[in-house]
Amino acid sequence: MEDFLHLNDLLTDEEKIIRETLRKFVDEEVTPLMPSAFERGEFPKKLIMRMAELDLFGMTLPAQYGGAEAGYVSYGLACQELERGDSGLRSFVSVQSSLCMFPIFAFGSEEQKQKYLKPMSEGRIIGCFGLTEPDSGSDPSSMRTRAKKAKGGWLLNGSKLWITNAPIADLAIVWAMTEEGIRGFLIEKATEGFFRNPIEGKLSLRASSTGELVMEDCFISDDQLLPGTDKGLSAALSCLTQARYGIAWGAMGAARDCYERALSYLMERTQFGRPLASFQLIQKDLSEMFNEILKAQMLNYRIGRLKEEKKDNYVMASLAKMNGCKEALKIARMARNLLGANGISLDYHIIRHMANLESVFTYEGTDNIHHLTIGRYLTGLSAFT
Amino acid sequence: MKILVAIKHVIDVELNIKVKDGQLDLEGLQYVMSAWDENAVEEAVALKESHDAETVVISIGSDDATVSIRKAFAMGIDAGIHVSDPNLRYPDSLTVAKIINGVRQDKNFDLILLGRQAQDTDNGLTAGLLAEIADLPFVANATKIEVIDEKKLKVTRQADIGKEVIELSLPAVISVNDSINEPRLASLKGIMQAKKKTIETMDAGLLGIDSGEASLVEVMEFLPPVARAQGQKFDGDAQEITEKVVGLLINEAKVL
Ligand SMILES: Cc1cc2nc3c(=O)[nH]c(=O)nc-3n(C[C@H](O)[C@H](O)[C@H](O)COP(=O)(O)OP(=O)(O)OC[C@H]3O[C@@H](n4cnc5c(N)ncnc54)[C@H](O)[C@@H]3O)c2cc1C
Repeated sequence: MEDFLHLNDLLTDEEKIIRETLRKFVDEEVTPLMPSAFERGEFPKKLIMRMAELDLFGMTLPAQYGGAEAGYVSYGLACQELERGDSGLRSFVSVQSSLCMFPIFAFGSEEQKQKYLKPMSEGRIIGCFGLTEPDSGSDPSSMRTRAKKAKGGWLLNGSKLWITNAPIADLAIVWAMTEEGIRGFLIEKATEGFFRNPIEGKLSLRASSTGELVMEDCFISDDQLLPGTDKGLSAALSCLTQARYGIAWGAMGAARDCYERALSYLMERTQFGRPLASFQLIQKDLSEMFNEILKAQMLNYRIGRLKEEKKDNYVMASLAKMNGCKEALKIARMARNLLGANGISLDYHIIRHMANLESVFTYEGTDNIHHLTIGRYLTGLSAFT
Repeated sequence: MKILVAIKHVIDVELNIKVKDGQLDLEGLQYVMSAWDENAVEEAVALKESHDAETVVISIGSDDATVSIRKAFAMGIDAGIHVSDPNLRYPDSLTVAKIINGVRQDKNFDLILLGRQAQDTDNGLTAGLLAEIADLPFVANATKIEVIDEKKLKVTRQADIGKEVIELSLPAVISVNDSINEPRLASLKGIMQAKKKTIETMDAGLLGIDSGEASLVEVMEFLPPVARAQGQKFDGDAQEITEKVVGLLINEAKVL
């Protein structure tokens, strides 16, 4: 897609190089694998080590914890390029970086950081983040997973559902209710009383592994509690703010791929003796897709710079996530339609993006929930309950 | 061994390039390191890893060529030189060759590596012109470079008559084919560290080159590529399609 608004002029040399490098990575090593990974319903595991080699895990963290010390615009550009390949791949990076490495960095003890962050940046420990439960989604404060104080630690009981990477993770960050409020716990996969089950039958994000975490009298020692999570639910939500920012960029990556594929298809495909791209109704769709991509990118870019200057807030992340996912899903559906029958074939990639974006639209705060967050900010009135 | 790699920062040809009034429409285009030059950078870094070489890249032209220089750093190159001059936005191959030679003499390089051609102009002239001006031995289109000793290389090139294996004494100029290697992707840490390295800027004038008069070639006009005619799609079983296509190739296209 052409750089219509000269966004390039706003990027540093290293941001341009990161984008170009990941574009090449995705074109050459990711996209060719994705249709069949999606069809088989498997995450292409060989990409984990490749992404670690490229330092994609925890890329914004300090070097002493295995990070690349990249800025937030770099992180956003990376998410955008990865999701051009597949939302499942970007989800993997979001979970590993924003939902697992970030909370250990922000709320962990020095020992916990030393123990986990470097191996996680090297892809040797895969993380997952367990907040959602069978009966607690948009309203996480209603969670039923309990942590009861025991000698030297905690006894956890409950279950978490719809957890990205649960079946393949070595380490789970599990949020549980204690007498003092919600706290985060680090659970290693071999812990007694800790079980993981894959979710089958998904028709979205098929190339991402999703599952259930079950804790049955699962004993977690004191040193596996994240000490900084004494702020309760707001600690968990701050991880989501990090991830939502990346998702806003990522969704536009998927949208761009749909738009680019649709544009080149419509230029070539002839009906009624003319290229489809020459019809007014088609041009209307194309110009709307183009417009929404440009708008979202400018929004994402601005919030990225604000994050770098530490002037951002969680409402901005909600706004960008809401906008990015909603528009990306619309663009994917338009592109799907514009390719006619070919639009439903995995060979043309668009249906895969479209199906994936249904999950991206729902997870990390549904569209409705982000509207409520912004509404509360505008009015000071909470409409959640 | 001291290696100089010449890299060109070019329009990303994967994007739709438009021509307006006989000139390239540069609006909204993106720029990348020319593909064959990436092979040259990779080869230099590989030689450094196996034989302890000192590696430097040089790029001539627009201000934002620093992006390609930093990308070379991120791939493992040690130092970079940027010859920037408003007159040198679109220099011809001879001017580029003269500037590279000026830098070569100034800093005593043993080996100059270049891509066999630039991705934008497809001229493929610079390496040969440089070898001529510098009066150095030259191997074009190399597919393999091996080190014999400090002063000698064994270079393989692909020719129509088969592979040629050449013993080359240094200093020398080599242009590389894209089959020579698979350029590595830089890691994010490499890219972030590349930011901290300084790029030496040089003035063409200091090398005794008058950039205002240097180019002997002036591009008069660009013409847009002719749009590809609509293709034909054949459905049916393999036997039928083959018969149909062969029939068309004989009767319509008259190529068989
Ligand atoms: C593929 C995938 C991966 C996921 N990965 C993770 C993960 O790694 N970790 C994790 O913790 N969770 C994960 N989730 C769960 C996800 O975050 C939740 O699905 C999401 O928060 C919504 O919760 P819910 O599904 O229970 O829907 P519900 O909360 O039951 O919502 C159902 C519908 O009601 C609407 N709604 C709810 N409340 C209101 C209200 N007050 N006003 C108006 N409308 C409302 C919602 O917008 C939605 O449309 C994942 C989900 C998917 C699909």
